[in-house]
Amino acid sequence: MMIKNNYENQEEKMLSKTKSRSLSGKKITLMLLALLAAGTVLSAQEITGLTIIENVYNRPTGQDQEGDLTMSLINSRGDERVREIKQFLKDFGDMEKKIMFFVSPADVRNTSFMNWSYDKVGKDDDQWIYLPALKKVKRISGDSKSDYFMGSDFTYDDLGDRHPSSDTHKLLSEETIDGEVCYVVESIPKEEEYMYSKTITWIIKDKWIGKKKEFYDEDEDLLKTLTVKESEKIKDYIVITLSEMHNIQKDHTTKMELKNVKVNTGISDNKFTERMMKRGM
Amino acid sequence: MKQTILIIMILVFAFMLNAQIIHHGFARTYLGALTEQDGEYSVLQNTFDWRLDYGKGDVALYVNPVFDYNALNDNLDITLRQAYMDIYFDNFDLCIGKQQIIWGKADGVFITDIISPRDLSEFILPDFDEIRIGINAVKFDYYLGNSTFEAVWIPTFQATITPRKGSIWYKNMLDFSMPIVYDYHNYDVGNKLSESEIALKYSYLGSAIDFELMTAYMWDDNPAMHFFPQPDTTILIKPEYHRLPLAGASFSKAVSGAVVRWEGAYYFEKRFAAEDFSVNGVKEKDYVHYLIGYDHNWFGMNISFQFIQEYIMDYEEDMRNDEFSSTMTFLITEDFLRETLRLEFFTYYGINNEDALLRPKVVYDFADGFEVQLGANIFVGDEGNFGQYDKNDMVYLKLKLSF
Repeated sequence: MMIKNNYENQEEKMLSKTKSRSLSGKKITLMLLALLAAGTVLSAQEITGLTIIENVYNRPTGQDQEGDLTMSLINSRGDERVREIKQFLKDFGDMEKKIMFFVSPADVRNTSFMNWSYDKVGKDDDQWIYLPALKKVKRISGDSKSDYFMGSDFTYDDLGDRHPSSDTHKLLSEETIDGEVCYVVESIPKEEEYMYSKTITWIIKDKWIGKKKEFYDEDEDLLKTLTVKESEKIKDYIVITLSEMHNIQKDHTTKMELKNVKVNTGISDNKFTERMMKRGM
Repeated sequence: MKQTILIIMILVFAFMLNAQIIHHGFARTYLGALTEQDGEYSVLQNTFDWRLDYGKGDVALYVNPVFDYNALNDNLDITLRQAYMDIYFDNFDLCIGKQQIIWGKADGVFITDIISPRDLSEFILPDFDEIRIGINAVKFDYYLGNSTFEAVWIPTFQATITPRKGSIWYKNMLDFSMPIVYDYHNYDVGNKLSESEIALKYSYLGSAIDFELMTAYMWDDNPAMHFFPQPDTTILIKPEYHRLPLAGASFSKAVSGAVVRWEGAYYFEKRFAAEDFSVNGVKEKDYVHYLIGYDHNWFGMNISFQFIQEYIMDYEEDMRNDEFSSTMTFLITEDFLRETLRLEFFTYYGINNEDALLRPKVVYDFADGFEVQLGANIFVGDEGNFGQYDKNDMVYLKLKLSF
């Protein structure tokens, strides 16, 4: 069983770019008046695809989080295999650290995985795996984002926190799903060799949380659909607790459930070390 | 008798603490047949590997008895692979008992990984956690941020376990034409404090690089064979273990989406066999052993390559080993069917003797925790570490249920 990367990064990251220019007082007054007049109309009507995706990316999710993750892999015949993981993550400002302890199935019990991801665009994640049979923490390649995580329908990149600047975003429309008004945003990767030709995301207005996402393959055929089934508000933070990825082409599904979620409990920095990978939960 | 006592102790322990003990491990059936010996069975083995974890506060106990039933000779072996206690403090840990200790960044090659000796009774074919022998040791780890200082004290010596006479893996390295007489007078290392082994390691794990620095004052796990020609034309051989001090380092670093690894050690005055009666067939030489490795994920395939070299310093022509010995390893694995099917091909290639060990295998998970493994061990060449076993090509089947 292959274990490498991370699941559901939704950390608070700021992506503000400020530009300052030197202008005379009169010009500033005139411009402010013009902006104030136009601003109300722009903010209500001309929000862009990029702004929406940035709002999702920057949505606060707390300083740290822990929870029990259950992945159910369901094939086209309805057979189910279950993977259970205990995970901890913490925001360190310019980086996020995550540690996962595998609980089941039995052949991966006591295996642990640690991922350090960075805000800096282009910097690969650092990843280590601890295999109890080898009693050794081993650094592994962080450049396998298109691999599927533990045989599920989620790739490592699906589970990660894709930077808004990696794609070109376009607001297509607004639609209502389950009574909630959503922005529909198309994102086309700037990287030519990326595994998807495009994604289309339904984002709940004002909550800045995804409701649904479609992934299109290299031939621009629909490959997978991600549906957010449940989310919970924990200490003022919205956490997705149940989602489902359905591979349309192969007709199999992965349900991902997060239980016993705790936010901002003050997880120690020492949780994210080689010592803890070996010691376990 | 000792085995019976061991079983009773483990069962009593398990029943007494049953509610708090976590039981896990595996049961495995392993069948191997030699392809060049008309399919003669080389392995007919049933294994029950039982791992018991018990924790209370900052103290944890781990016991790993292994029950091996060999159907070829109707023999049941019961061993205690590991049995140790962990005691956790704020900034340091203590681990006391019989334990496997693994150091270094190499895969399947032992350079700085010299703390736990190896059980080579089936050559290097078993899984590595089964090759390493648990040693009685006290291990102390002190943590400072991403750094770890480790000290290991091994009060009793454990030698490498070599294939017994009669095994298909047994090779007589002493090719004398005269009769041989053994003298085991100095063979055993005494159970004394002064005969202890000590090893120290500093390791760092960080974003830029992971590295280890180590030094150790060990015993060479393999005895040197001192030989003495006798007046009656026999050869007297005195096997003897010798001290082996060494220092080494290793690192692994991510480079352009791949991982580059290096590991090396300098061994002081290691004993080597030589055709020189004036030194009783043994010469002391400093020795260097190093490796460079490269791991990469390429279109979903995990590829790993290692180049290993051994160098005997101040070399003399009458020595049995080559001055330079070079080996390469290559591993490729790929998963299919939502990671329920894995194809793997691993090979060692000895450059000096142009010999190799090829290890293809297919692993299929019929259900979570239940796998079927079909594979082969193919030895290529006429001499060298792998070529010497050219007649031992085998195919095997393993059924393994993890719990």
